[in-house]
Amino acid sequence: MEDVVTHEEDWKVCFAELGPGLVLFARQFVRSIADAEDIVQDAFVRFWRKQHSGDPPTPGFGAANRGLLYATVRSVALDLLRRDARRARREATASADMEQTTEPQFDFDDGSQRALAAAIDLLPVEQREVLVMKIWNELTFAEIASALSISQNTAASRYRYALAALKKNFVVHE
Amino acid sequence: MNDFSELEAELKKLRPRPVSPDLSARIEVGLAENEAAGRGTATAGVLPKQRRFRPNWFALGLGLAAAVTFLVLARVNVDRPSKSTGLALLTPAPITPTAKAVDGFVPSAMTQVVYDTKDEGLHFAEGADEPMRRLRSRKRETVQWKNPQTGASLRVTYPTEEVTLVPISGQ
Repeated sequence: MEDVVTHEEDWKVCFAELGPGLVLFARQFVRSIADAEDIVQDAFVRFWRKQHSGDPPTPGFGAANRGLLYATVRSVALDLLRRDARRARREATASADMEQTTEPQFDFDDGSQRALAAAIDLLPVEQREVLVMKIWNELTFAEIASALSISQNTAASRYRYALAALKKNFVVHE
Repeated sequence: MNDFSELEAELKKLRPRPVSPDLSARIEVGLAENEAAGRGTATAGVLPKQRRFRPNWFALGLGLAAAVTFLVLARVNVDRPSKSTGLALLTPAPITPTAKAVDGFVPSAMTQVVYDTKDEGLHFAEGADEPMRRLRSRKRETVQWKNPQTGASLRVTYPTEEVTLVPISGQ
């Protein structure tokens, strides 16, 4: 990924690596794949435009760049929810009954994974977004902190809370 | 190893669902549109304003007022010597007493045709304190006589030139 954002032609390489994780991250705010992909599309174009504007691009794909990319996805998602209050209510309703109405975020090999995925859905969104960025996007706490505009300690705490809650819920489901 | 290492390993086994194939194409279109729109410079919503011609009404009004004031105060004399040609005036002139009856002919009519008037500008006449405008008129006079007894008529036409000094009213 070195210098991937310094070449305009390399966006496909960048997106091929980050795309699934970005869509999964966007899914934490909306409950359909289509909406999540719309968010990622908008955010990725904005991010790439920003990187290749008149300003000199930040060399490499460092913590600041990755943090900016996820921050852009989050910002676009929240804007979408704010723009459409009816949609937001529908999403809130869906989150209360997500097992029946939401599309799965993962491909499952067995029932155990399905139960784990269900336990993830029960986490508060603040913990879920940290968990998704850490596990499936492999961001550091510094990058997560940059994306969410929080301290690294807060990011680490949310991550630990998420794992603790998952462990508790997952054990129960097992 | 922390207490959650086993759980983290289980979580990493979960595979996010693959991205739909058209998402990459949509992004490509989005970036291409961005390129088409002038290399897509990110402006964070702050776009430079296009320069538009907007008249400065204050300056325009001020200039107009100054021009009018100048014209009123300066009273620019735009009089110019006339260069009129052709018929300027046709006047049936009164018959002067000098036109006396000769051999039974009596004056019956007289006309003056002013065909040119020229303003020759200001002149100081001798002994005058103020300048006077000199107008030179060129005329053609026609005098007609009739003999009431025989009914014969005689008509004489001759050119004349008249210079008139017109006093200038003080302004």
